[in-house]
Amino acid sequence: MRRAFLAITGLAASTTALVVLKGSPGTSQVAQDLPAAQGINPTPSGTDPSLDPAAPGGPAGAGVKPSATAGASTSPKPGKTTARPSGNGTTTKAPSAPRTTTKPPQSSTRRVTGAGFDAKDGSENYGYVQVQIVVSGNRIVEAITLSLPSGGESDIHSEDVRNRYNGTGGEVVQKQSANINTVSGATETSNAYKQSLRSAIEQAF
Amino acid sequence: MPPAMTRPGLCRVEQIMGTAISLDLADDLPPADLHDLADDVFAWMREVDARFSTYRADSEVRRFDRGEVLLSEASADLRYVLETCADLWGVTDGFFDAYATGGLDPSGFVKGWAAQVASDRLLAAGAVNHFVNAGGDVRVRGCAPSGEPWRIGIRHPWDAMASCLVLTGTDLAIATSGVYERGPHVLDPRRGAPATGLRSVTVVGTDLGVADAYATAALAMGAAGIGWLDRLSDHTHAVITDDARQFHSAALPLTD
Repeated sequence: MRRAFLAITGLAASTTALVVLKGSPGTSQVAQDLPAAQGINPTPSGTDPSLDPAAPGGPAGAGVKPSATAGASTSPKPGKTTARPSGNGTTTKAPSAPRTTTKPPQSSTRRVTGAGFDAKDGSENYGYVQVQIVVSGNRIVEAITLSLPSGGESDIHSEDVRNRYNGTGGEVVQKQSANINTVSGATETSNAYKQSLRSAIEQAF
Repeated sequence: MPPAMTRPGLCRVEQIMGTAISLDLADDLPPADLHDLADDVFAWMREVDARFSTYRADSEVRRFDRGEVLLSEASADLRYVLETCADLWGVTDGFFDAYATGGLDPSGFVKGWAAQVASDRLLAAGAVNHFVNAGGDVRVRGCAPSGEPWRIGIRHPWDAMASCLVLTGTDLAIATSGVYERGPHVLDPRRGAPATGLRSVTVVGTDLGVADAYATAALAMGAAGIGWLDRLSDHTHAVITDDARQFHSAALPLTD
């Protein structure tokens, strides 16, 4: 009997607490959820992504968005954004932390190659997408498309050039690992070696 | 002794002009001759650097730019370079501009030209199978030590360790300009702003100085550079755009 009373009281108390939480501070709860949803998943509606690239000089979070759009929505990114600021201890406000970029500034530049994803729409596979970012401190200074599917905006630009072109054109650049005697490339400076080494070290950690 | 362990000729790399200059002499000549030929090549490249470097305040180019050397007093090499740069300015509709950065900077022609002259001298001296690679601008002649034509990779613009195309030939001048090593350093002389649109431009011809200047000019033109290169009758090209698309002449000497 006593146990049953305690159980009912406990249930009533917790229900009240739930109702109170949902009632008055519910608005703040929603307000907190919203930016998190924007930061993690940039494609909740069709119109939002078109607005986002309009501010390319934005914070790191904004710079990552286009690549997240191109990749599969089930990327491990949500885990990353929440995991990074968890060191602060305030778990509820954590999702908004990356937007304020509280990380200590780093002077070095690093390249991070994202995992490759198939661009899929239902059962249709449009191709392979892979993006590399160059991060300077806590800012993304460059985003490079290593691989793009055919179609889409980039193809429209290529189409303009191709119409009046006599050569072979438009395919995505490939890698060849054949035997060669020497390499023609843009002039490397002594700094290039250091930069390459630095990026390799940063990727290793 | 297995013959695969040795090869005729000589390879040497030196750091000159702020970059790596590599030389491969594939002819089976006496070692002393090969060393003399290599010494001459690198002495010439150092001479060009001393004369044309924009980083040395005492170079002839810098002294000429400051008005301390008159055109009539300039060396034959400087006069030749200035005349050729003026011609290239006209041929490229002003997109190859030795004055694009404000002061005189003919580097977009000089490096390729210097390697071309070195290769011409080797040929004249009887070293008919060789390549000279001046910081990515390559002049090949004859065959590799294997006896096959030289094989030259075009660097993949997003992977320093990979090639995206492989060219082959016995008489090629191959120059590549790109923004991936030193950032957007090529200015569009008409806008005064860094050129965009193209990541890498490779021009193949017979004169490495001209090929070098054409590659730089096309890079400065941006996407329009592809059409411009397409209309050159005596040069072939390979272009990679910022969005990782590849365009190349049908006649480009490609191999697998």
